[in-house]
Amino acid sequence: MTAAEPTDGSAGRSGAGVAPDADGAPESGRTAGYRHLLKAVVYRDLLVWVRYPVDAAFGLVMGVFFFGLMFYGGQMVAGQAITDSIEGLIVGYFLWTLSLGAYAGIMNDVQSEASWGTLERHYMTPFGFGPVVLAKSVAIVFRTFCTSAVVLAVMLLMTGRTLDLPVLTVIVVGLLAIAGALGLGLAMGGLGVLYKRISNVANFLQFGFIGLISAPSFDIWWTKFLPLAQGSAMLQRAMTEGVRLWEFEPTAIAILVGTAVLYLGLGYLAFARATKRARRLGVLGDY
Amino acid sequence: MAGESLQADVSDGSRGVDGSDAATAVDALPADPDEAALYVDGLAKTFGSGDEAVEAVQDVSFAVEPGEVVGLLGPNGAGKTTTIKSVLGLVLPDEGDVRVHGIDIYERPRAAYEHVDAMLEGARNDYWRLTVRENLRYFAAIRGQDPDTLTDRHDELLEQFDLADFADTAVRDLSRGMKQKVSLASVLGGNVSVAFLDEPTLGLDVESSLKLRRELRRLVDERGLTLVVSSHDMEVIEDVCDRVIIMNDGRVIVDDTVESLLAGFETAGYRFTVRGADDAVLDDLRERFDLTGVESLDGRTRFEVAADSATFYRLTDTMERHGLDVDGVETVQPDLAEAFVEMTGGSVGEANPKAASGGGEDR
Repeated sequence: MTAAEPTDGSAGRSGAGVAPDADGAPESGRTAGYRHLLKAVVYRDLLVWVRYPVDAAFGLVMGVFFFGLMFYGGQMVAGQAITDSIEGLIVGYFLWTLSLGAYAGIMNDVQSEASWGTLERHYMTPFGFGPVVLAKSVAIVFRTFCTSAVVLAVMLLMTGRTLDLPVLTVIVVGLLAIAGALGLGLAMGGLGVLYKRISNVANFLQFGFIGLISAPSFDIWWTKFLPLAQGSAMLQRAMTEGVRLWEFEPTAIAILVGTAVLYLGLGYLAFARATKRARRLGVLGDY
Repeated sequence: MAGESLQADVSDGSRGVDGSDAATAVDALPADPDEAALYVDGLAKTFGSGDEAVEAVQDVSFAVEPGEVVGLLGPNGAGKTTTIKSVLGLVLPDEGDVRVHGIDIYERPRAAYEHVDAMLEGARNDYWRLTVRENLRYFAAIRGQDPDTLTDRHDELLEQFDLADFADTAVRDLSRGMKQKVSLASVLGGNVSVAFLDEPTLGLDVESSLKLRRELRRLVDERGLTLVVSSHDMEVIEDVCDRVIIMNDGRVIVDDTVESLLAGFETAGYRFTVRGADDAVLDDLRERFDLTGVESLDGRTRFEVAADSATFYRLTDTMERHGLDVDGVETVQPDLAEAFVEMTGGSVGEANPKAASGGGEDR
């Protein structure tokens, strides 16, 4: 019985005396599939998040605080100019919090698991480490969308503006946009497992997201192929002009999907290579 | 003492799995690797390269039968952790074959992990912000078990480990010993057939340790669980294990049943209490025999001597010639800790800085 073939049979009891399967091994009696895995990982992620209430609240407050600083500070410095471009600023900030949440979320999660001594237990699952890490990514993206939605709502209240919120379009474009950030977070998480302390590089990179989100993809064609850039441009159009997913040019969607798959894939590949090297060096569970 | 003769056997060819053959060891590998719950053959791992290379594990081979409990012993830096992590696929060895119920753990890790789990970090093996039950449910789920179908099993484990009253308590609010038990329960709660336990009684008080040892043995006997237990607590090894593998300098130096291992030491020494032994007599005895622990008590003298049966009779003849009155003779029965120290030539927790410097060994 392989991991690719989870059974829905009874739990049974492992150990001697249990009928062997095709391998001659006792039947494991697997009763959970990928759905159970995803549910468990998402639930665990939310539980851990709420059980660090100060950290969770501080994250939300700081998210709003920095926007307030930009908005009110910008009004004092640039006056009407900042007010005229506030919708773009809100969308850009929303995407920045999303991408930062995904990037830092998965990177910190991997490093926290190593320090808690639970990373190795996630390696030893019949689902495989890859699916578990992807499930963690889904959990983190889900949580990030929830927290960023709160920040978005507060930003709209603070500025008194309204935006188009075509939910399907925002979710799909937002997800594909932050896939690159998630890939980068996976790569950095892998490096963290390998080298343990990478906070200086990791912190520096998150500021690079601002440049990527504000990349002039309409003017300089190749910037579309950078992480976040195409998604940022499309999210701006969706939320400020009300453009729906199916109203985008097929080329734009293809670039969005292509860059998402590319950067997420590269990030996962880097993570897989880093963890393999960590296993070779015997430092997978070290912290 | 007998330890010397055993150590001599080991060093000049005690059988291990390293190809030598000693009277103290049992066959380590079965003819058919698929018969074993765990089969390890020719495991080798070197950390670093060139002058800084550290051979953490060299040619380690052993097999564990289904339902068997094997203790893995060795001083710090002996290669235990590297062996365990290599067997689990958490460290990639340079050489070696590892199978869990016949499944190659490097070729088909997912299938192998359906049967095996490990408690590697002791108390740091769970989520401290989650409750005890939440931990059990989570780790069961990522092991491919629907936690809803395991509620009874989890209740049973919580009862066995005295955690029932703390099921809804966050792990961080528990004592170290209880955290240790949560880790253990979360491993056993995943329905595995082979489990590795690294220092399962670390941090437990005497009573808790005793109870845990009983529960472990009961789980093994009732459920046919196969265990590999690494511990510095010799009581765990003596109470729970059927067999002991002793490692030193990255190699298996002894692979034998607990009974055989202790039997090798049992009649190896004697403790005499005599009257009338002055310094001259004692000096003469010291010259002829391997006397240790000499002490005087109210006109009596007590000493220990390593002796086989022939030496024993020579000694009693000599004492008779000196006119000593023998008040008592006891057989010295070293425990496993003493046997271990004799065989490894060190203390139970003695560090080996060379091996310890490689790859996070026994950090």
